[in-house]
Amino acid sequence: MKKTEENDNAAAVNEEPRIGVYVCHCGLNIGGSVDCEAVALSAAKLDNVVIADHQLYTCSEPGQERIKQDIAEHGLNRIVVAACSPRMHEPTFRSCVQDAGLNKYMLEMANIREHCSWVHLHDKAAGTEKSKDLVRMAVARARYLEPQEEIDVPVIKKALVIGGGVAGIQAALDLADSGYEVVLVEKEPSIGGRMAQIDKTFPTMDCSICILAPKMAEVGRHPNITLMSLTEVTNIGGYIGNFSVTLRHKAKYVNEDCSACSDCMKACPQHAPNEFDVGLATRKAIYIPFAQAVPSQYVIDMDLCLNKNGVRVCEKCVEACERKCINFEDHDREETFDVGTIIVCTGVDVFDAAQIPQYQYKKAPNVITSLEFERLINAGGPTHGQLIRPSDHRIPKSVAFVQCVGSRSRKTNPYCSNVCCMNTIKDALLIKEHWPETEIKVFYIDIRAFGKGFEDLFQRSKMEGVQFIQGLPGEIVQRKNGNLRMIGELMMLHELYDIEVEMVILSVGLKPSIGSDVVRKYLTLSRTSGGFFMVAHPKLRPVDTATRGVFLAGCSEGPKDIKEAVTQASAAAARANIIMHRGMVTVEAITARVDESMCTGCGLCAKVCPYQAIQINDRKKAVVIDAACSGCGTCSAECKFDAITMRHFTDRQILAQIDAFTEFEPEKKILAFCCNWCSYAGADFAGISRMQYAPQVRIIRTMCSGRVAQNFIEHAFARGVGVVLLSGCHIGDCHYIDANTFAEKRYKRMRRLMKQNGLDNNRMQLVWVSAAEGQKFQEKINSLVEKLKTVTPEEIKNSMRFFSEREKQRKEKKQKTRAGK
Amino acid sequence: MSFWRMPLDAEEQGVTVGEVHIIAYRCKGCRYCIEFCPNNVLAESEEFNEKGYHPPYAAKDGKCVNCNFCETICPEFAIFVTEGKPGNLQPADVLHDVKPGRRLQRKRRYGE
Repeated sequence: MKKTEENDNAAAVNEEPRIGVYVCHCGLNIGGSVDCEAVALSAAKLDNVVIADHQLYTCSEPGQERIKQDIAEHGLNRIVVAACSPRMHEPTFRSCVQDAGLNKYMLEMANIREHCSWVHLHDKAAGTEKSKDLVRMAVARARYLEPQEEIDVPVIKKALVIGGGVAGIQAALDLADSGYEVVLVEKEPSIGGRMAQIDKTFPTMDCSICILAPKMAEVGRHPNITLMSLTEVTNIGGYIGNFSVTLRHKAKYVNEDCSACSDCMKACPQHAPNEFDVGLATRKAIYIPFAQAVPSQYVIDMDLCLNKNGVRVCEKCVEACERKCINFEDHDREETFDVGTIIVCTGVDVFDAAQIPQYQYKKAPNVITSLEFERLINAGGPTHGQLIRPSDHRIPKSVAFVQCVGSRSRKTNPYCSNVCCMNTIKDALLIKEHWPETEIKVFYIDIRAFGKGFEDLFQRSKMEGVQFIQGLPGEIVQRKNGNLRMIGELMMLHELYDIEVEMVILSVGLKPSIGSDVVRKYLTLSRTSGGFFMVAHPKLRPVDTATRGVFLAGCSEGPKDIKEAVTQASAAAARANIIMHRGMVTVEAITARVDESMCTGCGLCAKVCPYQAIQINDRKKAVVIDAACSGCGTCSAECKFDAITMRHFTDRQILAQIDAFTEFEPEKKILAFCCNWCSYAGADFAGISRMQYAPQVRIIRTMCSGRVAQNFIEHAFARGVGVVLLSGCHIGDCHYIDANTFAEKRYKRMRRLMKQNGLDNNRMQLVWVSAAEGQKFQEKINSLVEKLKTVTPEEIKNSMRFFSEREKQRKEKKQKTRAGK
Repeated sequence: MSFWRMPLDAEEQGVTVGEVHIIAYRCKGCRYCIEFCPNNVLAESEEFNEKGYHPPYAAKDGKCVNCNFCETICPEFAIFVTEGKPGNLQPADVLHDVKPGRRLQRKRRYGE
């Protein structure tokens, strides 16, 4: 079976290309601003194009059926679909051509929706011209497409869950119940996360810890879950199915025999504020964060303990401990193991209200945050459920809530934190439940009670007498008796108010956890403008990330309530389950190949490979280790002898695209090289958000900006392109460790070369665009169009002459070396 | 994590306070107790003892937590600690980055 396939593939390379072009209207999404019929007609005139047609929805069943029919009828061997982004429908069309008997790598997509119709909504003529160019470039590339064989790699049936909040707990339990081994990593001494701190949950008013504690305990005793608290992720490498994870277990100084009897704590002389109670209660240097903590085990805070630097000064806890669990010799340990899938649930921190000075937080003692309120009203909290004001420990008669502190503001965070409105309503009802006479005022901009049962709770709070005042206070002023004056403007009546209350609760927003930055770096996840992790597709892949085998759950993906976090965690667990259940994943066939006859064994490729996937063997030839190669293409771009072919992104394919691009008026256009993961996705994002920019730009996709060889850029200039833009992930965010630094090097080399030879080096540009920075892409393109206007025909002519000369020299040199060998 | 407010249960927290007793004539001025005191309670006094050394004294009285390390480490058995009356938690015990108010800052800067 395999033999015949190989034979087929060999045949496909040699036979004359017979290309079918299908232009999609996508309803009015493309058809509204691009003349699809004209695009199809122009495509039909291109060489090797056997058939070119336009359809209303190519991705629909009849659309795909049509492609399959044409392949059979006209003997097509390459398909070009001009439609949406390949990041969207490439898998759909790949399986379509595969059904019709073609190799799935014989498909090429021209992105005329995200990169054309959606960003040039009001310029049909320019949009149509651009689409024609994009299709011509796609056809040019399609001519050189080659069939590829994908390999299956085994998946390790073990999952890593990062973060032990409610989302992490749920994901770990779901996976463990399905029979997989799970490692749950938590950086704090106990799992539980934010939910453990909260008193009641909305809208059902369930006791938060009462419903969470059983789940926490289950995690602790589940045979399939290895719980690692006080542990941080220090490194993650590898790829889907075979991630290698390194963790650092911080020293706890107390071993697992601890029965949490609290004798040691009573003996300890050192005090500090308890983080779990947000500083409202004290803890000792040896402590357990809260009563229900899992693992139920004390830890020692070495920053506070008297026994520093290995000098054992105080042994009161050791003397008090009956079971002899305390060991001051304990030290940090590192551990490395392999997992198949990773679920990231790194959670959130709360906004620091002191950033808004007019609210007097940290200055006036009776201004507290909503998280502090949760601890105050909690029966397990520092006041045993008494809502007292910190200044005089008296139960307040009037309380004000201030909404949107650190949310929905240009000065702090622009996004809505999603949970604060309902949390305030719940808090107000809790106060009313315990002290019905308390006067409660809620200062708000909008109340967002959008979920199931939320509106009922909102109406109930109104019925209970909670007053809602529209208009946030401009300032809070503390009076001598500790009361607070709320001064602001009523939004509807345009009247000023000046209301005195005894206590103020700031409803603080959520922001991504600081610790998540390490995880982001090693898993190359993208962030949205708010700093939350980005999913692969906001609607259809809401828990997947752009990195295969990595899933998101809980608030690290965006602010959400407990129910949503749990839902998402179960979804993430189910997605991870799919991969591990199959036991095999198919790895894309985009890896490097070395042509030994051309290789001189110079070793440059081995030096630049971010994965050390290339080695020089005894015969002085480069060898690629397929399983380690991730397909960035940096080696191919660096090779001076054309000995390395980057499969599916070959030199010939990319040069053909450049040639097709430069066929008509190249001096009036911008050529952009975008990496698949960040900047191409960023350009897609600009399209999805309908950010309009100038239509002169044409994008060529590569897997990494490191794939863009200097001779591609030189070739483009030799063919008379006006401006070339090189674009990739931000430094440090590269999907291929650090391959984009090579793009930067080449960019600088290119700029220097142009300057030294009297050319305008501003025609070569570089921009780092992340998947969320559509706006940055838009601004860059618009600024480049301004640049394009200043490029004179004289300048173009000079650069064409200079770079053609260089190309010719390079070719001669290459032939000489080859002849010499 | 840094905190700015005294914990609400601060008054309920009995803090162990040790009373430092120094047998001045035994001291040979090795300074071990001063160097190793985890809370930096001790300091060298200006006075001389019979042997001509400067014995230590409890510079930060009330900060001693009765860990007894000075007692253990003293080669001359010249220092010992007894448990005193439990004290209360002071702001400086728990708050490590309290910023003084504006008025106090001004006072410190210009020395009103």
